[in-house]
Amino acid sequence: MTTADLQIQERNLFTDWSARATARAADAGEPAWALERRSAAAATAAAMSYPDRGDDLWRRIDFRTAEAGIAGLDPFAPGPRARGVDDLPAPVVARMAGEAGNAGLLVQRDSDVVLEQTHPALEKQGVVLCSMERALRDHGARLADTLGALLHADEDRYAAISETVRSGGAFVWVPDGVEAALPLRLFQWMDGPGRLSAPRSVIVLGRGARATVIEEQLSATAEGLALHLGGTEVFLGDDAKLVYGTLQDWGRNVFHYGNQRARIGRGAELQWIQTLLGGRVVKSHSYFDLAGSGAQAFVHGFMFGDGRQHFHLHTLQRHLADHTTSDLLIKGCLKDHARSVYQGLIQVSEGAQRTDAYQANRNLLLSDTARADSIPGLEILANDVRCTHGATIGNVDEEQMYYLMSRGLQRSEAQRLIVEGFFVPVLDRIPLESVREQLRDAIEHKIG
Amino acid sequence: MTTEPTTTVGIRDGYAEKYGFHDDEQHVFKSKMGLTPEIVAQISDMKGEPKWMRDYRLKALEIFEKKPMPTWGGNVGEIDFKNIYYYVKPTSQETKSWDDVPADMKRTFDKLGIPEAEQKFLSGVGAQYDSEVVYHKIKESLEKQGVIFLSCDHGLKEHEELFKQYFGTVIPSSDNKFAALNSAVWSGGSFIYVPKGVKVDVPLQAYFRINTKDMGQFERTLIIVDEGAYVHYVEGCTAPVYSSDSLHSAVVEIIVKAGGRCRYTTIQNWSNNVYNLVTKRALAYRDATMEWVDGNLGSKLTMKYPSVYMMEPGAHGEILSIAFAGRGQHQDAGGKVVHCAPHTTSKIISKSISKDGGRAGYRGLVKVQKGATDCRSNVNCDALLLDEASRSDTYPYMEIEEDRVSIGHEATVSKIGDEQLFYLMSRGISKDDAAAMIVSGFIEPIVKELPMEYAVEMNRLIQLQMEGSVG
Repeated sequence: MTTADLQIQERNLFTDWSARATARAADAGEPAWALERRSAAAATAAAMSYPDRGDDLWRRIDFRTAEAGIAGLDPFAPGPRARGVDDLPAPVVARMAGEAGNAGLLVQRDSDVVLEQTHPALEKQGVVLCSMERALRDHGARLADTLGALLHADEDRYAAISETVRSGGAFVWVPDGVEAALPLRLFQWMDGPGRLSAPRSVIVLGRGARATVIEEQLSATAEGLALHLGGTEVFLGDDAKLVYGTLQDWGRNVFHYGNQRARIGRGAELQWIQTLLGGRVVKSHSYFDLAGSGAQAFVHGFMFGDGRQHFHLHTLQRHLADHTTSDLLIKGCLKDHARSVYQGLIQVSEGAQRTDAYQANRNLLLSDTARADSIPGLEILANDVRCTHGATIGNVDEEQMYYLMSRGLQRSEAQRLIVEGFFVPVLDRIPLESVREQLRDAIEHKIG
Repeated sequence: MTTEPTTTVGIRDGYAEKYGFHDDEQHVFKSKMGLTPEIVAQISDMKGEPKWMRDYRLKALEIFEKKPMPTWGGNVGEIDFKNIYYYVKPTSQETKSWDDVPADMKRTFDKLGIPEAEQKFLSGVGAQYDSEVVYHKIKESLEKQGVIFLSCDHGLKEHEELFKQYFGTVIPSSDNKFAALNSAVWSGGSFIYVPKGVKVDVPLQAYFRINTKDMGQFERTLIIVDEGAYVHYVEGCTAPVYSSDSLHSAVVEIIVKAGGRCRYTTIQNWSNNVYNLVTKRALAYRDATMEWVDGNLGSKLTMKYPSVYMMEPGAHGEILSIAFAGRGQHQDAGGKVVHCAPHTTSKIISKSISKDGGRAGYRGLVKVQKGATDCRSNVNCDALLLDEASRSDTYPYMEIEEDRVSIGHEATVSKIGDEQLFYLMSRGISKDDAAAMIVSGFIEPIVKELPMEYAVEMNRLIQLQMEGSVG
C-alpha cells in the first residue's frame, strides 16, 4: 500500500470512529463543546503520524504492533450494566477483597462504566464520584476548565485518537475543606482482546481537601491485540492532599499507553504510587507540575517485568514555583527477556528558587537476557536549589544471598526474599492493607 | 582582508587580550569558501595523498551531505557550511625548528608559551596553525625507541601501512555528520605510535590555533599505544575573537592494546565564537586503561563526549570532565563508556559550572552489552550554578543488557553555599576570591589529575572566568 493510500485509509477510520463516538456521546447527553473536541481530535489524528521512532520518548519502545492492528480494534465494545458487585468479573471482585462496601466504587468494563457506587458517607460530604459520561451531563461547568487542561489532544496521535473515541473514566470532586471519609476505588476491566479502551479521568480536590484514590487496571491474558489509551488529570487546590495509586496489571496481550498529569497548588501535597506489572508493551508518562509555592510531590513506583514484557516509564517533575519539593523513587525488576526503560527529568524553572528535588531509580536484573535502561535527567534554570538524582543497575547482591543462605535458606528462597524486599519501599506507600496484600501476591506470583 | 576583533564585556574579559589577538592573515593557499567535491579533491591533491585517501574523503563528503543535522544537544542550526574556508595552508612546509616557523606565527606561539613549555616539560610538541601543522618535533631519545609522533599528514606519508591499518576503524566516517565532515576535509592533527613496552613518561603536546576568520579547523588524530606501552597526550587550543563564527570539528581515534595505557588531556579554550563539535573515541583491549581528561572552558557551543569502548576483559575506562559556561556559552560535555567485554570497569566524573547566563551540562552514556558480565561503572556528576540566569543540564543514559553488573549514577546541582562563603569571608577573604576558591575546590578532584603546569594553568583560567562575577 502506498503512503497516500494508507493516509486515506487512516483518515476514513478516524472519521468513522469520530462519527460513531459523537453519535453515542450525543445520545448520552454530552455537551456540545465536548462533542466538538472529538471531531477536532479526529482531524488532528488524521493530520498527524504515529510517533517517530527517532523521537527520544519513542526510540526505546516499539508500538508498531499496535499501530498495525489499531484498525481492527473496537473502541465501542459495550459492557453489561452491573446491579451490584456480584455482577462484576470475578478477578475484579477478588481485588476488592470484601471491602467494596467501605469505599466509593466505580467500575468500567470495556467501553462502559458499569457500576457507580458513591457511599452515603461520601454523598453526605458532597464528594462526587461518577463516570465521565455522567459528569459531562451533570457537572459540565466543572469539567469545562479541567478536562483537557493538562492533557492535550495534539500531544501525539495516540492522544488525538484517545480524545476522539473517549469512553468511560471517572470524575472525582472533593469540595473545599472536605476530607473524604472513605477511599475511592476505580477499576477498569477488559473482557477480551480486540478492545481499544480510552477512558479519561479528572480528579479535583478543592482547597484543603483530602482524599485517597486507588485505580486498578485488570484483564485476563488472551490471544490477540488489545490497546489501552488512558488519560488522567489531577488538580490539587491550595493545601489539598491526595494519595493516588495507579496499579496496572493487564493481561499479557495488552498494549498500554497511559498519560497522567497532576497540577499541585500552593502548599498542596501529592502522594503518587504507580505500579506496572501487566501488559505486553507498556508506556506511561506521568508529569507532575509543582505549580504553587510550597507544593510537594512524593512519587513512588515500580515496574516488574517477565517473559518478553517491555515497560517504558517517563516521569517529569516540573518545579514551576518557589519552595517546592519533589521526591521520586522508581524501582525496576526484570527477569527472563523483559526490558524496562526509566526516563525521568527534573525541570526547575527560572524563579523556582529553594526547590528541593530528588530522583532515584534502582534496577534489579534477575537474568542475563533482561535489559534495563535508565535515563534520569536534570534541567535546572534556577540557582538556589538542591537537585539530586541517582540511578543504579545491578543484580542480586551476593553478600545478601550469602547471609540468607548461611541461615539455611535455599538459593531460590533467598532470592525471592531479596526481590520481595526490593519492592517494600514502594508497597509501604500504598494506603490500603488489602490492596497491598493483593500486590504482594501478584509480585510473588511473578517471581515464580 | 581585514578582520575586526570584537570585545565582549564581563566574563572572559581577559581572553581577548591574552588569546583573542590575531595575526595578519598570511597563507600560501586558501581554498574557496564553501564545500564541494572539487575542494575536497583539491585538498587531497595538494597533500599528494594516495588514491585511497582521496576516495575516502570524497565518499565521506557524500555521507556528510546525506546525514541530517543533530536535533539534540546545542543549537547547530546557525552554522553556515557555505561560508566557511575549509582549508587554509599557512606555510609551505612543516618544520622541526622554531627558527624556520614564519615570524608572525612564531610570535603567536611564543605568546601562548609553547616553545617555553616544550623546553621545560614536554617530550614533543606539535603546533598547528589553521589547517596545517607548522612545527613538529619529538625528543631524539624517544625517536630512537621507535616512538612516532608526527602530524597526521606526515603519518600518512611516512607510515602508510600502519596508518591505513587503523585510520577510520574506531570512528567510521558514517558515525555522525561532523565525523563525516572531518573525514572529508581533515588536515593536521597528530599521529602517534608507541611501541610495545615503551613508556613515554613526559607528555607529548599538540597546540591548535585558529587565526583566519570564517575558517574551519578539522584536525585528525590517531594514536596507537602498543602492548604495555604508555603515553600522555595533551592538547590545548585558542583562537582570536571574531564577530563571525568559526567551526572546529576534530576526530580523535585511539587504540590501546593489551596492558597499555593512554591518557588524553584537553584544555579547550577556544574564543566564544567557535563551534566545537568533536568526536573522540578509544578502544581499550585486555587490561588496558584509557583516560580522558577533558576541560572545556571556551567556545560558543561545545558538543563533545569522549568515549571508551572496553573490548576485552580487564579493560578500564575513565573520563574526567570539567565544563565551565559563561555568557553566551553552551557546554554540552560528557562522556560515554561502553562495556563490550566481561570484567571491565569504568568511571566518569563530571563537574560543570554555569555563570552569567551560561549553560553547562553533562550528557553521557553507560552501556553494558550482552555478555559483558561482572562490569562495574560509576558516574558522578556535580553541577554548580553561580547565578539565577544560568542553566545546568544532566542527561545520563544507562543501557544495561546484562544482569551480573554494578552500575551507579549520582548527580547533584547546587549553588555556592552561603555558609562556605561566610566562613571564608569571616577570614578576611573578599567575596570574589572566596567564590573563586570554592570553585577551585569544586573542580579539584579533576585538576589534581592534570600535570602540575596544566593544573596551574587551569586554575588561572578558572580565575579568569570568575573575575568580578559573584553577586
